[in-house]
Amino acid sequence: MSSYNPITSPGTGQTIQYPKGSQYMPPWRQPYIIGIAGCSGSGKTSVSSKIIKKINVPWTVLLSMDNFYAPLSEADRAKAFNSEYDFDRPEAFDWDHFVKCVKDLKEGSKRVEIPVYSFEKHDRTDKVLSIYGANVIILEGIYVLHDPRILELLDMKIFVDTDLDICLARRLNRDILHRGRDLTGAILQWNRYVKPNFDKYVRLTMSNADILIPRGLDNTVAIEMIIKHISRQLTLKSHQHIEHLIQLGHSPQELELSAQNLIYPISESSPQLLGIHTLLLDTQTCRGDFIFFFNRMATILITAALELISYAPKHVVTPQGTPFDGLQSLDEIYAISVIRAGECFENSLKKTIPTIRLGKLLIQSDSQTGEPKLHTLNLPPQLEAASEGKSGKWTILLVDAQMTSGAAAIMAISVLLDHGVKEEEIIFVTYLANYVAIKRFRSAFANVKLVVGKVEKQQGVRTPRFIDEKYYGT
Amino acid sequence: MSNQDNILVLPQTNQLLSLYTIIRDKATSRSDFIFYSDRIIRLLVEEGLNQLPVTPRTVQTATGVNFDGVTFQGKICGVSIMRAGESMEQGLRDCCRSVRIGKILIQRDEETALPKLFYDKLPEDIADRYVFLLDPMLATGGSAAMAVEVLMSRNVPQERILFLNLVASPEGITLFNKKYPKVKIITGVVDQGLDDNKYISPGLGDFGDRYYCV
Repeated sequence: MSSYNPITSPGTGQTIQYPKGSQYMPPWRQPYIIGIAGCSGSGKTSVSSKIIKKINVPWTVLLSMDNFYAPLSEADRAKAFNSEYDFDRPEAFDWDHFVKCVKDLKEGSKRVEIPVYSFEKHDRTDKVLSIYGANVIILEGIYVLHDPRILELLDMKIFVDTDLDICLARRLNRDILHRGRDLTGAILQWNRYVKPNFDKYVRLTMSNADILIPRGLDNTVAIEMIIKHISRQLTLKSHQHIEHLIQLGHSPQELELSAQNLIYPISESSPQLLGIHTLLLDTQTCRGDFIFFFNRMATILITAALELISYAPKHVVTPQGTPFDGLQSLDEIYAISVIRAGECFENSLKKTIPTIRLGKLLIQSDSQTGEPKLHTLNLPPQLEAASEGKSGKWTILLVDAQMTSGAAAIMAISVLLDHGVKEEEIIFVTYLANYVAIKRFRSAFANVKLVVGKVEKQQGVRTPRFIDEKYYGT
Repeated sequence: MSNQDNILVLPQTNQLLSLYTIIRDKATSRSDFIFYSDRIIRLLVEEGLNQLPVTPRTVQTATGVNFDGVTFQGKICGVSIMRAGESMEQGLRDCCRSVRIGKILIQRDEETALPKLFYDKLPEDIADRYVFLLDPMLATGGSAAMAVEVLMSRNVPQERILFLNLVASPEGITLFNKKYPKVKIITGVVDQGLDDNKYISPGLGDFGDRYYCV
């Protein structure tokens, strides 16, 4: 019996529980969430920006609690315009909505829509911010450490403890210079709402924090320490994720590369294909030939993939007036290419299905940890219907020229599944795939079809990604 | 004398059948007719190329290991029977860049009603090449037979001729194979038969007209 033991992180003892057996959990299913609280004007936003800049992880999201002000009644809105509404009480926030959004972000399994609040109108706008696939989320706001339901979702709780005089000075500066208020109004606001609420509620949440930062952004030592800690936690998290990926390829059984396992290698016996393989694998082949023969190969692979879609009877009449019982494909075909190697397929995709709709996603391996990370995602808008639970008749060709470790393929499919696409609707098309990567792929997803041009079976041999380099010459 | 081994019909997959459904449909627009015919032609050319001999060749891959592959022996050319056969040239070029293409014009003689050679222009060294003979429809096989005679008169042996067509009639294919058993016929589909006008049925109309004019 093989089971997966997660690595325990020294110090915090915090581990990610990866499911045992044949399931895969992408890293964004467990984003690292940091809460930063403190008095208005204490420098929460500056500290957050500094952390984001320093940890330098793609897809880091800064989320302000300001977005979660409860919508105001007409009467309250009138008060708000006269600066007579108390925005600094805990009741001014829509807590249930806030908790729900943070919970959804923590699960990381779907697109989370964050409301956008307008201070000009003192109301929620009809705009929303969509967040998906975040690795690190920083929540900032005076009451971030207030509600126990939020506290249990946070991986790190920070309180910025700046002297109130400095907070006031900063607030005055901001209100008068950037928000067009007058001095009397700004001081009135401070005395009437900000300070009393801070003393009554906000200050108490300090005891919920893991770390206090006295003097805010000026405290470079404290901020450096926090950044180091976060980086260490993130590295650990990616090690665990990579370990989990490696584990997926380690099933003792041999995987038969056959249609029974939804794997469709193109014929190995054909001399012409063997000749194309030879040209593509030969390092001496010039770029012109390489591009030409890769396009030919890609067309063959796409044609093989299109054998796997569903067809229905169609009755037509030929020009001689003779009836003919034929077939037509019913599925709408979408293609999604994994940037940049997948884009080598686009020429052939357009030549096979001229009106094909193309989506893209960029997954890159971190140069230090090797962990693949999602950077960009562009899906055809029609696929949005999938996330609303509607099922269309579609097939999605996910294309990537190579599958070396399988990590990028697995991540790309996770992204599609998170958007409501079903495994059975995806055909992954690739030219060169490593046998271990295929096993990994199959343990992660049982129902995604795989069309592959050439399988690397030799033990210990793993061709690095070279196809896109040669295809694009960069 | 006939040789069934030299008659190759593409695997009748759902996808192929759906492509044929489009080009057979009289309601299909000309642009779709061209696009989907080209896709079938490309499959025919790939199948044809698969029939050519290769020689072993070992190359070094990016990992530094050797790969025991093969190399093409090259030396092919296309010969299209005008005008419909010319529609298949692009498909051939898509798979073989800068391939040489010869032409043969055969038309029915108004007086004798028999096919007659009007014009031909073939590569000088055609006798050293594999020849892809292109004609989309094999109905009675009259013009194809005449084209093969022209090639043979230029010293191209039968076994180096591959005759590619989209639709064949059972009569035409049998007759042609009997006459030239060593020529490889590669066809996309064998239809039911010929109608009273000697058109392939159910067929897809006049291929050249639908590709070039209608």
